Amino acid sequence: MKRSVFPSGSGDVPSARRSVPAPVWAAAAAIALLAGCRREEVTHARVPKLPQAAEESAAGGGGVPGMLLGRSGGAADVPAPPAPSGAGALRWTLPKGWAEAQAGGMRFATLKAPVSGKLDVSVVVLPGPAGGELANVNRWRGQIGLPPLDEAALASSRRTLRSRAGEVSLYDFTSEGQSRSRLVAGLLEANGNSWFVKMVGDAGPVGAARPDFIRLLETLRFEQN
Amino acid sequence: MNRTSSRIWDAITSLRLTIACLALLMVLVVACTLAQVDFGTFGAVKVFIRSFFLWWPVPGTTWSIPVFPGGALVGLVLVVNLVAAQAKRLTWSWSKSGLWIIHAGLILLVAGEFVSSAFQVDSQLAIEVGQTLNYIEGREPELAVVDATDPAHDDVYGVPESLLAHGGAIAIPGTPLSIQVKRYFRNADLAVRSAAEPPSPATAGVGTGVTVRELPPVAADNQVNQAAAFVEPVAGGRSYGTWLVASALGAPQSFVHEGRTYQLVLRHRRQYLPYAVTLKEFRHDVYAGTDIPKNFSSLVHLSNPSRGEERDVLIYMNQPLRYDGKAFYQASFGKGDTLSVLQVVENPGWLLPYVSCVLVAVGLLVHFGMSLSRSMRRRQVPQEA
Repeated sequence: MKRSVFPSGSGDVPSARRSVPAPVWAAAAAIALLAGCRREEVTHARVPKLPQAAEESAAGGGGVPGMLLGRSGGAADVPAPPAPSGAGALRWTLPKGWAEAQAGGMRFATLKAPVSGKLDVSVVVLPGPAGGELANVNRWRGQIGLPPLDEAALASSRRTLRSRAGEVSLYDFTSEGQSRSRLVAGLLEANGNSWFVKMVGDAGPVGAARPDFIRLLETLRFEQN
Repeated sequence: MNRTSSRIWDAITSLRLTIACLALLMVLVVACTLAQVDFGTFGAVKVFIRSFFLWWPVPGTTWSIPVFPGGALVGLVLVVNLVAAQAKRLTWSWSKSGLWIIHAGLILLVAGEFVSSAFQVDSQLAIEVGQTLNYIEGREPELAVVDATDPAHDDVYGVPESLLAHGGAIAIPGTPLSIQVKRYFRNADLAVRSAAEPPSPATAGVGTGVTVRELPPVAADNQVNQAAAFVEPVAGGRSYGTWLVASALGAPQSFVHEGRTYQLVLRHRRQYLPYAVTLKEFRHDVYAGTDIPKNFSSLVHLSNPSRGEERDVLIYMNQPLRYDGKAFYQASFGKGDTLSVLQVVENPGWLLPYVSCVLVAVGLLVHFGMSLSRSMRRRQVPQEA
C-alpha cells in the first residue's frame, strides 16, 4: 500500500501519470546548472578619481605609517623598510606590569599594558621622514574619526619630550561621540629613520595607561644589539 | 514503464525520502550552527548548506572524500521529491487546491535558497561622516591594476582571487599588460626582512624589504585573511620586476610603461556603482545613563545623476535602503561613531521566501477552510435529517 505525503486522502493516481518525470528532471537539472553558471574574470571599470584623503581613509588606515608615500605615483617609488636591528635599534624600559609581545606584521614591536579594555601599543620604524609629520598625524586623527589639522594646528597640538634617543614629538587626541577613542603617539626622527610609538584604543584604557606610556617614551634610547 | 523504472519512481516520490531529507536538513542546520564558532557565518553556510557534499581530507594525502550530503544536494533531492510527489499523487481538483498551493510554496522556498546561493552577493559599504563613495567592497581580495594616467579618472581592472589562486599569466584586457602570478597566499603575515634572511622573491617595490610568512586561512566573522602575492607585470615583452602585493600594505605601488602609470594594489574586491552615497550623519544613541544601545542610524544622501535622483535616506535597524537591486542594512560602526558600516546584499531572489510564506499560509487557510466547511456541512445533514 502506498502512503500519501498529504494529510487527507489524495489516493493513488492512474499509472499514466507515472510518465511525468521528464519535466521533473529537466527542472532539477536547470536548478543545478543555475548554481554553476557563474564564471569569474577580470573586471573593468572607469571611475572618477576619488579625493586622496577619502581613499586613504576608506582603505581603513590598515597600512603602516608612511605607506601613503606611494600614492603619489612614479616608478617604484615606495621605499623599502629599513632593517630594524643593529646600531640603530631603538630600546626602552618597560613600565611595571607592561610586557613586550612578539612583533608581528610590519611592526618593530608590540607592547602590552596591564589595563583591561581595547588598547593597542605599537612601535613601527620607516626610512626617512615617512611621508612627513603632518601627513602621519592627520592619518592618525583619521583613524579615530577626527578631521585633519593644518601646520599651525599641528604645532599647537605638539608637545615635546626629551629622551636619550632624542626629542620625541607627542600627540594626544580624543574622538567625539558616544564611544570615544583616544590616541597617544610619540614620533622620533633619528639616524635617517622615523620611529612611531603609538597607543590607541578606547578612551578609558588609553587614559589609564597614559602616565606609564609617557614614562616609556622618556626612556627611549639607541643600543647595540 | 518497466519494473526498475517503476521502483525508482516510487522511491523518488516516497514520503520516506521526504522525511529523510528533512531529517538530514535538521542535522545540517545544527552542525552548521555549531561550526559557526570556527568557520564564521559565511564559512559555515558555504561548507554545510551551500555545498553538495561535506568533504573529509584524508590525512597524509591531498585527497578529500565526500562523507555526508550537503544542503544543496539534500535541497535538490527534496525539490525533486516534492515536485514528483505532487505530480504523482495530487489530482487536479478544487478540493485539493490548498494542497497544491502549499506544495508550490514549499518548492519555491527551497528553490529560493538555490537562487540565493547561486546569485546572492554580500558586500560592505564602510563610509565615514562627510565621505562620498561610489563603490562597495566584498570580503574576498582582488588584485586591482589601475591605469592612473588620466587626471580625471582611473581605469580599474580587478583580478579576482580565483584567478590569483590559479596562478600563471593573466592578461589584462584593454591594456598591453599581463600579470604573471608567481605565488599567492590566502593569508599571510608580513614582517620587516632582516639582514640574515635570504633575498626576497620581490625585485621591485616595498616587497624587497619584507618577509612573507604563510598562515592558515581564517574564516571566523571577526577575523580577516591578509592575502599576499608575488606578481610580475609584463608589457611589450618587458618585465617590470616581481612585486609583493598584500592586503597589509596600505598604498598602491606603481610603475610606468610607455608613458602610462599603472598601480598595483591587493585590496577587498570592489564593485563600482552608477551612483554615489554620502554619509551625512551617523547616530549611536544609548539609553540615558547606560551604555546600552538604543538606536543606530545612518543618514545618507543618494546621488544618481543618470536618473536625476538626489535624496536623503535614513537607514536604521531593520529598515534598509533598497535601491537598484541592492539592500543597504545598518551593520556596524567605528572610529568614535564617525564610521558607519552598511551590509550590502544583492539577491535577485530576495522576494521568493516572502512569496513562499504567503503561498503556504494561503494554502493552509484554503485547505483547512475547505475541511472546516465540509465538516460543518456533515454536521448540518444529520440535524436536518
